[in-house]
Amino acid sequence: MTLSTSFPSSGRFVRSRHAMPAILLAVVALLVVAPLLRILWATLTPEGLDAWVAVLASPLSQNLWWRPLVDTLLLGLGVCLGCLLLGGFLAWLVVLTDLPGRNLIGTLSSLPFMIPSFAGALAWGTLFRNDRLGGAPGYFQAQGIAIPDWLAWGLVPTLIVLVAHYFSLAYTIIAAALSSVGADLVEAGQMAGARRSRILFGIVLPVVTPALVAGASLTFAGAVSNFAAPALLGLPVRMHTLSTRLFGMIDTGQTERGFVLALLLIGVSATLLFFSDRLVSGRKAFTTVTGKGGRTKRFPLGIWRWPLFALAAAIGVMTSIVPVLVLAASSLAPQSGALFSNWTLYFWIGEGGGEIAQGQAGLFRNPVLIDALWTTLRLGVVVAMTTMVLGLALAYTIVRNKGTLLANALSQLAFLPLLVPSIAFAAAYIALFGAPIGPLPSLYGTFALLVLAATAHNLPYAVQAGRSVLGQISTDIEESARLTGAGFLRCMAVIIVPLAIRGLLAGAILVFVKMVRDLSLVVLLFTATSPVLSMVAYRYASEGFMQFANAITLLILAICLVASFLAHVLQHRVQKWKQS
Amino acid sequence: MTTHAAAAPDAIQIRQLVKRFGDFTAVRNVDISVPAGSFLVLVGPSGCGKSTLLRMLAGLEAPTSGSIAFGGRTISSGEGGVIADAGARDAGLVFQSYALWPHMTVAGNIAWPLKVARWPKEKREQRIDEVLAFLGIGALRERYPAEISGGQQQRVAIARTIAPKPSILLFDEPLSNLDAKLRIEMRSELMRIHRATGATSVYVTHDQVEAMTMATHVAVLNNGRVEQFGSPIDLLRHPRTTFVASFLGTPPANLLPVKRNADMLTFGDVPLAPAGIAGAQTEVQLLYRAQDIAVGALNGKPKLVAKFAEAAPIAGQTMVTAMVGDLRITAMADGYFTASPGETVDLTFIRTPDAVFTAAGERIDQ
Repeated sequence: MTLSTSFPSSGRFVRSRHAMPAILLAVVALLVVAPLLRILWATLTPEGLDAWVAVLASPLSQNLWWRPLVDTLLLGLGVCLGCLLLGGFLAWLVVLTDLPGRNLIGTLSSLPFMIPSFAGALAWGTLFRNDRLGGAPGYFQAQGIAIPDWLAWGLVPTLIVLVAHYFSLAYTIIAAALSSVGADLVEAGQMAGARRSRILFGIVLPVVTPALVAGASLTFAGAVSNFAAPALLGLPVRMHTLSTRLFGMIDTGQTERGFVLALLLIGVSATLLFFSDRLVSGRKAFTTVTGKGGRTKRFPLGIWRWPLFALAAAIGVMTSIVPVLVLAASSLAPQSGALFSNWTLYFWIGEGGGEIAQGQAGLFRNPVLIDALWTTLRLGVVVAMTTMVLGLALAYTIVRNKGTLLANALSQLAFLPLLVPSIAFAAAYIALFGAPIGPLPSLYGTFALLVLAATAHNLPYAVQAGRSVLGQISTDIEESARLTGAGFLRCMAVIIVPLAIRGLLAGAILVFVKMVRDLSLVVLLFTATSPVLSMVAYRYASEGFMQFANAITLLILAICLVASFLAHVLQHRVQKWKQS
Repeated sequence: MTTHAAAAPDAIQIRQLVKRFGDFTAVRNVDISVPAGSFLVLVGPSGCGKSTLLRMLAGLEAPTSGSIAFGGRTISSGEGGVIADAGARDAGLVFQSYALWPHMTVAGNIAWPLKVARWPKEKREQRIDEVLAFLGIGALRERYPAEISGGQQQRVAIARTIAPKPSILLFDEPLSNLDAKLRIEMRSELMRIHRATGATSVYVTHDQVEAMTMATHVAVLNNGRVEQFGSPIDLLRHPRTTFVASFLGTPPANLLPVKRNADMLTFGDVPLAPAGIAGAQTEVQLLYRAQDIAVGALNGKPKLVAKFAEAAPIAGQTMVTAMVGDLRITAMADGYFTASPGETVDLTFIRTPDAVFTAAGERIDQ
């Protein structure tokens, strides 16, 4: 058989197959590895070594490292525990019981993760802020209910806000795992004569252990690296986490100390993720072996059905709907203590120059904000595109070169950013691109720098999305196209991309939403002159203009919602053959 | 039903069992009884209600009406629901998917039901060794389900089920996920297990070959009803309906619709058999086994002209399938036979029909 001679384009195909991995390896190395190496290198200079000493072994280290570390770990552990309990409880109710209104509860439980964590923090402040710091008091205080400091500021409110945000991540992961526990496994336990509790603890929970560990480590990592909530609720009372400390250092020009803290933060987060990964991978990483999939066994709740429904619905409403309503009411109320009186659209469209808000114009009349809106949208779209293109290319190369050293290296490198909290990642980008490299100018404060950093930081999600998309396209399909004589690029354009577009769009919109509502990556990389919306909101909040901050946050939420809705509609339009 | 006053109660007694899911009736008025030690096979096409029936036997579903008794003790009924829980009916179920617990080793899977039943540790370990050796999978003891092959998983599932020594074994299409060769091997293995444990077995399958080879009793189900219940030979020799006649037997039997024409029954214009066998009916169906039809013309015997479709050699003979209009007819030819598709072949009816059925499919007794 002389197949190759009969297809003239196969030579081109082979060549591009070798060239692409090399280019990709270089790109990933530049985007992911170089900044991390550079920030490490920056702390090994004489100034850097001084910073290590200052942070870890000096009279300052109590404030720079130990207290933030303790607060960070308390937050991480508390959030992780709270999320597992709350998310696990809701997932159990929705997936494994006959709770009424399961779809509603499921939707409510997955909503909070769509809402940026600073929205929760702002809503908390609007309600619970007390007069310790001066300025306008929150709703409860204005109603004459004294709010103690521990409930208004610091660790407890930060913890609550982060749990209310991240529990829905835990819920999503655990619910997916629970629904993959086939009814057969449970029935096999029933046949053995085991009681319900024994089946739950002896079979169901162990089978979903990997998901529990994954949920725990992701919520821990999320809480540890979160910037918005501790910054808004903790900084006013000088509670520091590693991420707010690191921001403070770089913001006040103590760059080396900031870098050291960034490396330490990466260490804390990566250590945990690494060990949790070790815990679930290896021999005990069991995949469920099932024939009749999809069917799950529901336990009857009996008289507890409605009380539990009320509880679950209350949790969902408090964490997803109430914060948005509070923000909305606040953006309309001239006095932040009186949420529901004298509503005005001033903060949205007011002309400025009046008594309210020190004469500042409303949201849609403020040129800085309009600028920020466009910058935000542009950033979201550009990063979504760059990330998905790179993600698909990487996923393709990894899947088709499966088992080779190159594929392993690429996939390891592409997943590296997952271990790095975004604010530390931003610090690494400052280390690499903050000063001119040879003939290249410094990129600090530019749009390009943010695109690079964001693309790199979103790579793990993009590669994952790309892989799951490609997983649906068998090699056979591609090979049958190649046997017709079509070249590599033509195969890509005519076969792979149309089949992949649905998954790609979903992935791209996820990235877009992540970017629009992100604060911790952009807060270090953008300058005050060309901000994005989330930064403007943060700045207003820290200056005490709560209504503006809340209004901008609502705007961000609206953009995210519209994007998600578009994704939903587009998915059905683009692949007509999947309509049923 | 065969309950005499003095005899021991039947191991499994199903009375007037009905199961409805909303408007859909999955099981209709099923009446089956088998003595201890039988091997009952429930066979039928998919959706016939056989798995639902098995799940009711296992105690995983409650009947809508009717009752199930094991050894004279009523364990489920329409009035009482599931009276004895799945675990409390001394029955074990082998799942189609095997349902091995993925987080436990092979030994752990077998041990868990024993732990639940509070077997002391020593007896437990001893029993695990025993069943592992019995199924020839001692080497897999510490492996996880995801690390062993489908056939091995099957053996583990069986070991787990027989370990607590249940007096009733239930099998839900246990061989359907295995490849053809392994299936035949496991078939005899299952019969060995049945004999060795002495348990009464109920076995659900859509494969009539499994039913014919393994069963002491067969119930053919169709649309939730028992079409016929009896021994395999009995069902094969005296099918009560055309459904049973066409579902059982290899190669499949032929059913020819014929009309009374004077004193003969004719297919088209070919007279096949004397009209007397049709009783008072004018249109009936004649059952011919493949071995009752030969390929090639033979003097004095009725023949049909058919278009050749395919041939498969079997044990020195050839099973020939040919089409007469839309009707598929299977005949046997001696030695090896082949022809091109579409080619004309003569099919000769060398014996009288094996059975006669009404147009509606009921047997006409001679």
